[in-house]
Amino acid sequence: MGKKSLWIGILLVLFVAVPCFNGASAGVPGVTDTEVVIGWSTPLSGPAALWGVTALGGKAYADYINSQGGVNGRKIKVLLKDDGYNPTRALSNLQEMRGKVFAVTGLLGTAVVHTCRDFFSENKIPLITAYANTRMWVNYPKDKLRYIFIAYPDYEDEAHFLTSYAIKELGTKKIAPFYQNDDYGKMGVAGIEKAVKESGGKAKIVARVPYEVTERALGTHALKLKESGADTVLLYTTMTHGALILKEMGKIGFRPKALATFTLGDPIMYKIAGEVWEGVYPAGAGNSGIPGADPAADRLADILKKYNPKIAGKEYLGVFGAVSMIYTVEALKRAGRNLSVEGMIKAMESIKNYKPEGVGAPATFGPNRRHGVNASRVLHAEGGKHIPKTEFKIFKPRF
Amino acid sequence: MDLIESYKEELKLIRKPWTRVWVGAFVLLLILLPWFGPEHFTYTATVIFIYTVGVLGQNLLIGYTGQISFGQAGFLAIGAFTFGHLSRFGVPWPLALLGAGILAGLFGILVGFPSLRLKGPYLAIATLGFGIAVYQVFVNSELLSGGRMGLSIQKIEPVFGLSRITFNYYFNFLIALFFTLATYNIISSYMGRAFIAVRDNDIAAEVIGVNLARYKLLSFAISSFYTGVQGGLYGLFMGYLEPNMFTFMESITLFVAVIIGGLASVEGSIMGAAFVILVPQVFSEYREMVPVVYGVTILIVLIFEPLGLYGRWFKMRLYFRNWPFR
Repeated sequence: MGKKSLWIGILLVLFVAVPCFNGASAGVPGVTDTEVVIGWSTPLSGPAALWGVTALGGKAYADYINSQGGVNGRKIKVLLKDDGYNPTRALSNLQEMRGKVFAVTGLLGTAVVHTCRDFFSENKIPLITAYANTRMWVNYPKDKLRYIFIAYPDYEDEAHFLTSYAIKELGTKKIAPFYQNDDYGKMGVAGIEKAVKESGGKAKIVARVPYEVTERALGTHALKLKESGADTVLLYTTMTHGALILKEMGKIGFRPKALATFTLGDPIMYKIAGEVWEGVYPAGAGNSGIPGADPAADRLADILKKYNPKIAGKEYLGVFGAVSMIYTVEALKRAGRNLSVEGMIKAMESIKNYKPEGVGAPATFGPNRRHGVNASRVLHAEGGKHIPKTEFKIFKPRF
Repeated sequence: MDLIESYKEELKLIRKPWTRVWVGAFVLLLILLPWFGPEHFTYTATVIFIYTVGVLGQNLLIGYTGQISFGQAGFLAIGAFTFGHLSRFGVPWPLALLGAGILAGLFGILVGFPSLRLKGPYLAIATLGFGIAVYQVFVNSELLSGGRMGLSIQKIEPVFGLSRITFNYYFNFLIALFFTLATYNIISSYMGRAFIAVRDNDIAAEVIGVNLARYKLLSFAISSFYTGVQGGLYGLFMGYLEPNMFTFMESITLFVAVIIGGLASVEGSIMGAAFVILVPQVFSEYREMVPVVYGVTILIVLIFEPLGLYGRWFKMRLYFRNWPFR
């Protein structure tokens, strides 16, 4: 029985395994004569599902380009997968895309990007923009960074800029940051501390009030902020928590000046927070524009809505994501008809002072520069819109 | 249906020749997978192996000993971060992995103490509190969680000229195989029978001489050890850790794996691990519908097969074994 069963086993294995065999395909992965495939893994479900609209924006822009004949005779196919904001699933999606995609764009979430970052150099696939804390790239080895292109502001630089603006222009003297108790919030606080230190005693931090991302009852947090006697509150929160804390502060009659990080730069905040949002100064990220205030962003939002009506009402995130696809398209154009990964990298490196469809601050990449744009500006919530108060402040690229 | 005539026979891992055939074929298939299958199969299978270790442990606790626990994410985090810090201090990975398991096991004993007095939903809530507390501690302590940028872990360099994915696959395969065999060993020993006795009726178990305190704590310790090792393997595989990887959802994932796979079954644990990894992965192109598909699949399995995937498998085997007689 022993030998017989062994043979039966081997046969069984061969039957099952043979169909799995897939021969290696020649040529550049993800590129055919008529098509170029771009991978996009993003949270379309789970806690960060709203941010998945960025991918819908990117896909809508690709559809728009395809309707005009594509790039150099090739249509863009977006291979869109849900990762639920989960690093394991994101990496799994990328593994599955390997050999099928030419480039990846728009990865979202610090944990996701950090987990997946080695994938790109290991497999020689360019990553064109990712929405995550930029600090992970600062000490990243140069040979691996070659495949990475980022256009995203640094949280600390932005907080520094916002705080300096408050001190100089709004007469802020007592600051209280209200922040998410994680990397993101703490980097904001670090920037605020730096600006306060540089103010030479003009302003001070009177309280630091953290919250947990799972918390929803923020009454005591609002009281703490009020008791600190702060004249300005700086929000490093999610959209929901920014809205909740302002509502709670309103209930107890505490209406200080409020500034907020760029994740709250979406005018959709009026819908979430209601009238308490009026008068807040959110930051505007340098990599994107504000529909309703920037004509270029409006034009782009109209295009996106035409190709995906679901983006209506979420124009800000749609534009935010479309920008990633615009960089990709621009690089594909510059790389020419003979696509190769090296050619794509060279093409990205040749992008100088470029505004995607006229949106945001100008981006510049180069052989020694992968942080294309690190910029921010101050907006003001007025009558349902976010109106820019300053020009883009361009910070030094971090890597 | 099995006539067992001696104790030696009872202890045999595999009793029927045909079982030997399919188990052998399955193992051989797993060994050959990296050479035949597409690379993302290999990757997904690696994740399943890692989860298998934890699910086996939780099945020992929930399935065999009947202690309902929702603290898995806590043990996972303790294991993962212990491994992360140890390997950053230059401790070789086998020791770091052992350290991860042992520390998680010690915390398991700590959490096990309420189990001596609490049962059912009360114990579930106590363990739930533990899972959430651990998460909060890691979120609030930069020293433990590795600071603002999380904790980067050096991955093992592949040997024998294997690619990283293939190497990780075999590495985790061997560890999962080891833990699977260890689990079979535990459940067919005195300890395993004591666990089952505690589950079925703890008073009766005590009457026949099972030391309740010892075996309940032991069950917590062993299951947490497994989960801690899973955490360590996970950290090693991902190369990066941050507290948000260990939210309450992770506890739910492991719990679902145990229930869907089949309570008190080793094969079920493996199937359960495969289920929780494969379902979201296979349906990832359904985008925002993924959680709905996932949830509905769980419902379907539980409605049509309350004994879990193992139950279905068992019935299938029974059917074919008795074929053509029913």
